[in-house]
Amino acid sequence: MMTFAGRFGALVPLLRGTTQFIKCAVLSGAKELLPATAPGGIRLAHTDIKIPDFTDYRRPEVTDPNKSSQDSSDARRAFSYLFTGATTVVGVYAAKTVVSQFVSSMSASADVLALSKIEIKLNEIPEGKNMTFKWRGKPLFVRHRTEKEIAAEEAVNLAELRDPQHDKDRVLNPSWVIVLGVCTHLGCVPIANAGDFGGYYCPCHGSHYDASGRIRKGPAPLNLEVPYYEFPDDDTVVVG
Amino acid sequence: MAASVCRVGSTMGRVLAQTRSPLLLSLRRGQASVSYAQSLLGAPETRLSTLDNGLRVASEETGHATCTVGLWISAGSRYESEKTNGTGFFLEHMAFKGTKKHPQSALEQRVDSLGAHLSAYTSREHTAYYMKTLAKDLPQAVELLSEVVQNCSLSEAEIEQQRGLVLRELEEVESNLQEVCLDLLHATAFQGTALGHSVLGPSNTARNISRQDLVEYIDSHYKAPRMVLAAAGGVSHQELLALARSHFSGVSFEYEGDAVPVLPPCRFTGSEIRMRDDALPLAHVAIAVEGPGAASPDTVPLMVANAIIGSYDLTCGGGKNMSSRLARLAVEENLCHSFQAFHSSYSDTGLLGIYFVTDRNHIDDMMHWSQNAWMNLCTTVTESDVARGKNALKATMVGQLDGTTPICDDIGRHVLNYGRRIPLAEWDARIDAVTPKMVRDVCSKYIYDKCPAVAAVGESSFQLRFLNRWPVKVR
Repeated sequence: MMTFAGRFGALVPLLRGTTQFIKCAVLSGAKELLPATAPGGIRLAHTDIKIPDFTDYRRPEVTDPNKSSQDSSDARRAFSYLFTGATTVVGVYAAKTVVSQFVSSMSASADVLALSKIEIKLNEIPEGKNMTFKWRGKPLFVRHRTEKEIAAEEAVNLAELRDPQHDKDRVLNPSWVIVLGVCTHLGCVPIANAGDFGGYYCPCHGSHYDASGRIRKGPAPLNLEVPYYEFPDDDTVVVG
Repeated sequence: MAASVCRVGSTMGRVLAQTRSPLLLSLRRGQASVSYAQSLLGAPETRLSTLDNGLRVASEETGHATCTVGLWISAGSRYESEKTNGTGFFLEHMAFKGTKKHPQSALEQRVDSLGAHLSAYTSREHTAYYMKTLAKDLPQAVELLSEVVQNCSLSEAEIEQQRGLVLRELEEVESNLQEVCLDLLHATAFQGTALGHSVLGPSNTARNISRQDLVEYIDSHYKAPRMVLAAAGGVSHQELLALARSHFSGVSFEYEGDAVPVLPPCRFTGSEIRMRDDALPLAHVAIAVEGPGAASPDTVPLMVANAIIGSYDLTCGGGKNMSSRLARLAVEENLCHSFQAFHSSYSDTGLLGIYFVTDRNHIDDMMHWSQNAWMNLCTTVTESDVARGKNALKATMVGQLDGTTPICDDIGRHVLNYGRRIPLAEWDARIDAVTPKMVRDVCSKYIYDKCPAVAAVGESSFQLRFLNRWPVKVR
């Protein structure tokens, strides 16, 4: 078989061949070819090259030189590919994380985001009083209502309202009304505890709001806006 | 009228060709006096017998006036250990330096007077001693061969003398870079195993080998069941058998301590070795994957595959019109000085690869296109490629057996590898059975996504980027 393969394309057979013609002359002085000692650096023939022993680096299935490596090749390949695949996935995920961290660094910073919420201590606001806070660049009214005001607002007939909304739809806790202090007509800031309905009065064009912030009289079309808020405990409200 | 006759004639020809019956084919009065099919079927049969001690005798009577007779032995560097590597090669040097009955001068005289040629070779799994002589001198040839193999004198003086010769030969082989490259390929591909040993052995063996080592080698490996007495030429099998009985009956078939040597499998390691020497003008590179053993049915499709890749060297006249794609590229892009696809097969494993010689600027490209040629075999080889490969292979096979010596060598190696001689007609049938799908499947099995072994010698200021083709990679 080797000769066939060997003779493809006029290749000298891969056999190591020596033709010994009987007429070969006896070589004189053959002894001179034998070096007395060969220092470690000189290699006399390519057959003296020793392939290093890589057993320490081999996988356990291929440490035995007398076992064909074909049997374990599928398993070894599967492990390599699995490992590479998993590493690639992790690597891609890491890359994505790094990139998105850099990209998201261009979004709003923490101090800006911190302004989006406001925490208000409610025990500082006495009953009947309205306090104004600056929130997101706009005035925020926090009104501590009395029982009389609550009862009055809840009894209002919705048919009379330009923008019908029941009081309980505008407050979480009836004693506290939290609305944006921006008139829905043209944006002026209404004055608290003024007007004909015991709520707010906008001096710019004469809009009257009640104690629930609903429009009653005047040019404003809608009730005062109620932002999102929640009571983490009885004494605090977080708006935003 | 004439046109229709022609058309009928060609139709008949096609029908005859398609039926493939030898009788019908012979009716075609083509150029040959004997059709291809007839010539294959008419080849003389190889007769095989076995002696009582297990020695096999095989011969083919070709009718020549000369003959080649020889002894093929399952012994070689694969049977040697790291310490004894090179013994077989040294022994081959000692073989013709005299026997117990004939001192060297007498042996030389006898062979000369016959006008014969006495030769030997050692390879990794086989050793052969053979003689080419006139057919009528067969008895003398067998006698001399039996002397040489069984009763080699192995004189101390001769051993000392041969040391220098073997060292000189080792030196000389360093200049044959093809040998060096392929030896290194085996050394790295089968590292740590017996197949990694070079046949020549390290220089230490030549310097330190003793008569005892040689005697031990002969005693452990020259056993009758591992030997074949093969002959081809004007020889009669009966005569050869009688001669074998009288001369070779004494060959031992028992091992000391009943220790029959069993060849363990040899592990293949995908790896690389580079012997870099920028002073050399060219780089010799071999890349190979593990292939099947000699007796595997996959060898025939792989031989066809290798024929498709083919070979090339600068002296080829075909230029860019050659059929092998790699050869065309080699010419057009000036990729290499020569390349060839090879398949070395041993009893249970083998190396399937491509060897090329090129200069420093084209190594990466040549490596890339060689692997491309492999991938082409695995994926897109076509019907016409395979047909061409089959024809080339058949032509090579038949053309190689052009004398008594190649035939005798064929017989010897076949009996050792397969247990019988595979006749050309059988090769032909097996080759015909190869289809493109078979080539693709078999090549994928051995090449696709497998680790190659690479050996490079010479001028190599290169990276040898064989990692750039994904499915063919090194782990």
